[in-house]
Amino acid sequence: MIFVIDDDQLMSECITRYLAPRQTAVFSNAIEAMAAINEQTPELIFLDIMLDGPNGFTLLHELASYQDTAKIPIVIVSSLDFSDHELSIYGVVKVLNKDHMTPADIKNSLEFIQNAK
Amino acid sequence: MESEVNSILFAAHELKAPLSLMRQLAFSLEMAATPQEQAKIRAQIVGVSDRALKQVDDLTKIARLEDGLFELAPVSVRAVCDDVTSELQHLFRFNNRELKIKYSNKSRLVIANRELLFSVIYNFCLNAMHYSGTETRSELSVQDHNGAVQVKIRDFGPALPIDVWRELKRGWLKKPTSIAMRPGSSGLGLYIASKFSRFMHAEVGAIRHRDGTSFFVNLPISTQTSLFS
Repeated sequence: MIFVIDDDQLMSECITRYLAPRQTAVFSNAIEAMAAINEQTPELIFLDIMLDGPNGFTLLHELASYQDTAKIPIVIVSSLDFSDHELSIYGVVKVLNKDHMTPADIKNSLEFIQNAK
Repeated sequence: MESEVNSILFAAHELKAPLSLMRQLAFSLEMAATPQEQAKIRAQIVGVSDRALKQVDDLTKIARLEDGLFELAPVSVRAVCDDVTSELQHLFRFNNRELKIKYSNKSRLVIANRELLFSVIYNFCLNAMHYSGTETRSELSVQDHNGAVQVKIRDFGPALPIDVWRELKRGWLKKPTSIAMRPGSSGLGLYIASKFSRFMHAEVGAIRHRDGTSFFVNLPISTQTSLFS
């Protein structure tokens, strides 16, 4: 299962469409996502940073702090520029810029994770 | 000068969000498997672009407020609220939300500019939709309040940050403010609503609830006899 966490419903729909036919679960905020992660560990998370309520960084810290969730690969999908940030310590394997990304970038992220296994 | 630059940066950042989204929807349109799905995505693109255009249009109006283009005249509040709800009802339903309208006073005329008042209520409602959770209801209510007509929009989203509330309590937002510090937020919409309200000598404000926020605008009542009373 792949988790898509973005408070923009249409953006989540687009990412889910790019990932088809892979099974996805969509969450609009970090709290709902964390509750779902406690129930089921996703194989990959596409995470927006600027979320309503606790933001994506809060979720990254939370996930990194638990042994069982620290290794979940995370792809950040954001309009913010993270080129100067070292995020791999949070399990971030890729950062996609919403302004420039294409469906191929999403699919490639998935392949990247599968090949890394 | 710094404040002006910040305002421009904020507006640019907020207006970028719908452009990014339309780009992704265009990719999605290429991938749509059925005519129904294509039609749905086309409608989404039109909806996102309409709202972005409205925001750009409102920003243009802010720059021209002092040019004498927006005369104040007696306006029926109910007619404007009906127009706003009629335009946004579909969008609320599409996002699994509900917009209810409640009139608890007699129909009144207020002194306002119809176009600007429409934008104020429209931006408040969009803000409510944005911040309310799915399958929640936002309520647009109109009532008499301290010799004015109060149009209030209640949402059931996160509580308003205290600094934004304080600024609104002082009367209006001096600059676009990102509520919850998110680029896709409607902080710009609230700034627009605040500027337009100030121009119309109306008072804007917000009430913090534990389970959401109410934004309101208090409009001066016209002494002209209401045609609807």
